[in-house]
Amino acid sequence: MKRYLGPAAAALLVIALFSGPGYLERGSLNDIWNVSLYVVLASAWNIMGGMAGQVSFGYSAFLGMGAYATVLLCLHGWNAYATIPVGMAVAAVFAVIVGLPTFRLRGPYFTIATIGVSEAVRVFAQGVEWTGGSSGRRMPIQYGDFLHKWLPDVPRGQAIFLENYYAMLILAVVVVGTVWYIQRSRFGLALAAIKQDIDAAEALGVSATWFKVRAHALSAALMAIAGSLFAINFQYIAPNSVFAFNMSLQIVLMPVIGGVGTLVGPIIGGVVFGYLQIKLLTIQALRDSNLLIYGMLLIVVMLFEPRGVLGLIDRVVKFVGRGLPKARKEARHAA
Amino acid sequence: MVGFLSATLNGILVAGLYTMMSFGLALIYGVMKLVNLAHAGFIMLGAYATFALYSQFGLDPFLTGIITGPLFFFIGMGLHKYVVRRLPESGNTPAVQSLLLLFGVWLVLQNLGYLIWGGDTRSILTSYTMKSVSLGPILIAMPQLMVFLVTSVTGIALNYVLAKTYLGKAIRAVTQNKGAAQLVGINAPRIQMIAFGLGIALAAMAGGLTSTIYPFTPDFGRSFLLKAFVVTVLGGMESFWGVAFGAGLIALLEQYSAMYNFYPNVFTDAVTFTLLVVALVVMPKGLPSVGNQLVKFVQPWFEKTFGRKAVAGS
Amino acid sequence: MPHEVILQAKGVTKRFGGLTAVNNVSFEVTQGEIFGLIGPNGAGKTTLFSCLVGAYPPTSGEIYFKGKRIDGMHNHAVVRMGIVRTHQIVKPFREMSVFGNVLVGASFGSKPKSGAVAAKFVGEILKFCGLAHRAEAPASSLTIGELKRLEISRALATEPEVIMLDEVMGGLNPAEINDAMALIRQIRDSGKTVLMIEHHMKAVAGVCERAMVLNFGNKIAEGTTRDVLNDPRVVEAYLGDHSAAG
Repeated sequence: MKRYLGPAAAALLVIALFSGPGYLERGSLNDIWNVSLYVVLASAWNIMGGMAGQVSFGYSAFLGMGAYATVLLCLHGWNAYATIPVGMAVAAVFAVIVGLPTFRLRGPYFTIATIGVSEAVRVFAQGVEWTGGSSGRRMPIQYGDFLHKWLPDVPRGQAIFLENYYAMLILAVVVVGTVWYIQRSRFGLALAAIKQDIDAAEALGVSATWFKVRAHALSAALMAIAGSLFAINFQYIAPNSVFAFNMSLQIVLMPVIGGVGTLVGPIIGGVVFGYLQIKLLTIQALRDSNLLIYGMLLIVVMLFEPRGVLGLIDRVVKFVGRGLPKARKEARHAA
Repeated sequence: MVGFLSATLNGILVAGLYTMMSFGLALIYGVMKLVNLAHAGFIMLGAYATFALYSQFGLDPFLTGIITGPLFFFIGMGLHKYVVRRLPESGNTPAVQSLLLLFGVWLVLQNLGYLIWGGDTRSILTSYTMKSVSLGPILIAMPQLMVFLVTSVTGIALNYVLAKTYLGKAIRAVTQNKGAAQLVGINAPRIQMIAFGLGIALAAMAGGLTSTIYPFTPDFGRSFLLKAFVVTVLGGMESFWGVAFGAGLIALLEQYSAMYNFYPNVFTDAVTFTLLVVALVVMPKGLPSVGNQLVKFVQPWFEKTFGRKAVAGS
Repeated sequence: MPHEVILQAKGVTKRFGGLTAVNNVSFEVTQGEIFGLIGPNGAGKTTLFSCLVGAYPPTSGEIYFKGKRIDGMHNHAVVRMGIVRTHQIVKPFREMSVFGNVLVGASFGSKPKSGAVAAKFVGEILKFCGLAHRAEAPASSLTIGELKRLEISRALATEPEVIMLDEVMGGLNPAEINDAMALIRQIRDSGKTVLMIEHHMKAVAGVCERAMVLNFGNKIAEGTTRDVLNDPRVVEAYLGDHSAAG
C-alpha cells in the first residue's frame, strides 16, 4: 500500500495541474509556469550535479544555447517547436566537447572550469554580432500558433498562453520522469557509484568518463529545451539574462537547498525558489533580497544539513519515529 | 616602440594589482585546499570600506590599508572559526560542501552590499587620481603607480613573513603537508585560521586598491575573482612569486592584445576565461610545475653537453 | 582448463618521478593457481597490482593476459576482460547497501547483467561470501571483516578469471582469517586464478601454492611457497640486516 502512495500523489498532482486552466486564474497559472521552469532547471542540473556528483556552475550556457537556437532559427522562418531538437543538439555537443577535457579535474577545479567556460560563452555572445550583442534578440511575432489552429474559438492571446503553459508542464513531467527512470536504471547505478567513489567504480568496470559524458549531454539537452521554451514565452533574450552567472547560480541553488541527488529535492527547491521569488517581488522592501535569502539558506544548509530540505525532513521523521515503540522495535530487529 | 614600452610598463603595474588580488586566494587554497569563492565579496567590501574611510574621514585611500587590513584580518579569522570550521568533515565531498558554503557567504555579502549601498556605481576621486607621471615619452597614471608601490611593499613584507618568521614557515609547512606539520608540533587549525584571516585581509586591501582605479558596485568582485583564478592556476597555487608571475602574464597579455589588437576588445574577458579552462586542464599545478618538468626533461642532455647541471639542486 | 599461463608480466617497471616503485619485475601465473605476492612494506606490491589491472600504466614493460597485451589499458577495460582487484584500504560505496555495492560489480563487470538476472546473481555471490544476511544493510554500517568480504564480493561479481586480493587478512582476528582462507580456496575451486598480496605468513603458507617476493621494487625470489619462505634472502629482507647472529 505504502509503495503506491508516492506515484499516486504524483499522478493526482499532474492531473490537477493539467486541468488547471479550468479552475485557476491566469496569475496562478503563470506562477505554475514559473515554478515548473525552475523544477525543470533544478532537475536537469541534478542529473549531473546531484547524481553524478559533478558540480557545475556553468549551466546557463546550455539554457542560453537553447534560447538562442530557437530565436535565431525562428528569425529564419523555422517553426518554434521545430527548433528545440537543434538547441538540444548544440547544447549536447558543447557539453561533450567541454566535458571531455574537464572531467579529469577533481572537485573544486572542475567547478572553477565550468565558471570559466560559462563566462567565456557569455562574453562571446555579448561581443558577437549575430547574437545581437549585449542587446539580445527578439522573437519574430508570428509564432506559437499551434494551439490556436486546433481551437479557433479561443482568443489568440489566451491560446498562446495555454500553449506555453502546457508546453512547460509537459517538459516538467518529462524531465522528472527521466530522472525517476535514471534512478532505477543501470545508468543511475553507475552515476551513483561514480559519485561515491570514482576509483572504486572504475575498478569494477565502470567507465567513468563515458558515463559522465552521457550524463552531461543529457542534462545539457534538457536544459536547452527549457531555454527554447524560455525564448518562446518571454519573446526576448539577451546574454545578460540567459547566459548570466546569476542564472547559473540559481540553477545550482535550487537542488542543493532542496536536496541534491534526489528525485524530489530539486522539485522542492524549485517550488521554494519559485514561490519565494514571487512573494518577495510583492514586498517592495525585500524586492532584491531573494539572493540574500538564498545565500543565507545555502550557508545554513551546508553547515547543518547538507542533504537539504529533504535531509531535514528525513531527520525529523527519524527522530519522531524513534519515539514510537513500534518503530523502536523494528529498529532493533534491523540492527 | 613607445607603444610596446608603454604596454609593458602598464602591464607590470597592473600585474601588481592582480598579484595582490590573487595572493589571498592562493594562500587560502594552499593552506587548507579551500577554494574561497567569498574572496570576491571581500574584495568588494574592501572597496566600500576604503570608500567609506575616504569619504567620511578623508583618509587617503592608499593609507586605508592600515585600517582595513587588520580589520578584515579579524573578520576573516572569525569567519573561519565560526563558519568554515563548523563544516562537517565527511569523506568524499567535503570540497563541494565548503565550496557551496563560501559561495553562500559571497551571495550574502554581495546582496548585503546591494541592500546597504544600492547598485549605483561609485568611484574614488582624489586630488591626484587624474594626474600622471611621465617617464620619457610614456605616461603612467598616478593611481596605477601608487597601487604598484603599495603592492610591492606588501609583497616584500609578505615574502619576509613567509620566509623568515615562524608563522611564515608554519604556513608553508601546513601548505606542503598538514599531517607532517602537526607531527612536528605545529597547531595546524590555528595556522589555518590565521592564514584564512590573512587571505581575507589581502582581498580587502586589494579591493581598496582597486577602487582607486576602477569604479565599483556590489557586483565588483566577480570578474576579478575569475581573473584571480586564472592567475593562481597559471602561477601555481603555492608560491608568491608564482602568483606574481601569473599576474604578470595575464596583465601583459591584456595590455598587448589591447595595443596590437590580437582580437576585438570585447573578447578580452572571454580569452582570459578560456585561458583559465585550458590552464586547469593542461597544467593544474601552474606554469612553475611545467617549468620544473621542462628542467627535468632537459637536465640529462644539458649535463652531457656541458658537464654540469642546468639548474643547481634539481 | 588445463594449466596454461594466464597472466604474464615482462620487465614491468613503475616510476613516480624520482622514485622507482617497481623495478623490472617479470613473472608468470598459471591458470587455477593461488599465487602469493609478499615482501616488506613499501616493496611495491600494491603498485604492481595497480599496473596489472590498469589503474595506471607501467613506465615500461609488458603485461599479457591469456596471451593478449593489456598494459596501458584503462582499469575498467581490464575488468571487462576478466581481471579484477580488491583494495588494501577498502573502498565501499558508503551510501549504498551491500546489495547495491555488489550490483555495481555485476552490472559492469566482464559479463554485465541487469534486472532480475543481476539481482539473482548478486544474491548468489552474497551467499558465497557469507554476506547474504546483510544484503540490505548500508555499507557504512559494516564491520571491518564484513567490509573485506564486501570488497571481495564486489570483485567476484564482475565474474573475473583472475582476482587479485590486496591484504584481505589485514585487521582480521584468527577465526576470520581461517574463514577468509577457506573462502579463497573456494574461489579458486570455482575456476578462478587468485593472486594475493599478504603479510600474514601463516595464510600465505596455508593457501598459496607459489609465491613471489618483492623488496624495494625488485623481485628477489619466486617459486613454491615453501622454498620461497625458506629462502635466506627472503628472510633477510623481512628482518633487515639484523640477523639472528647480530
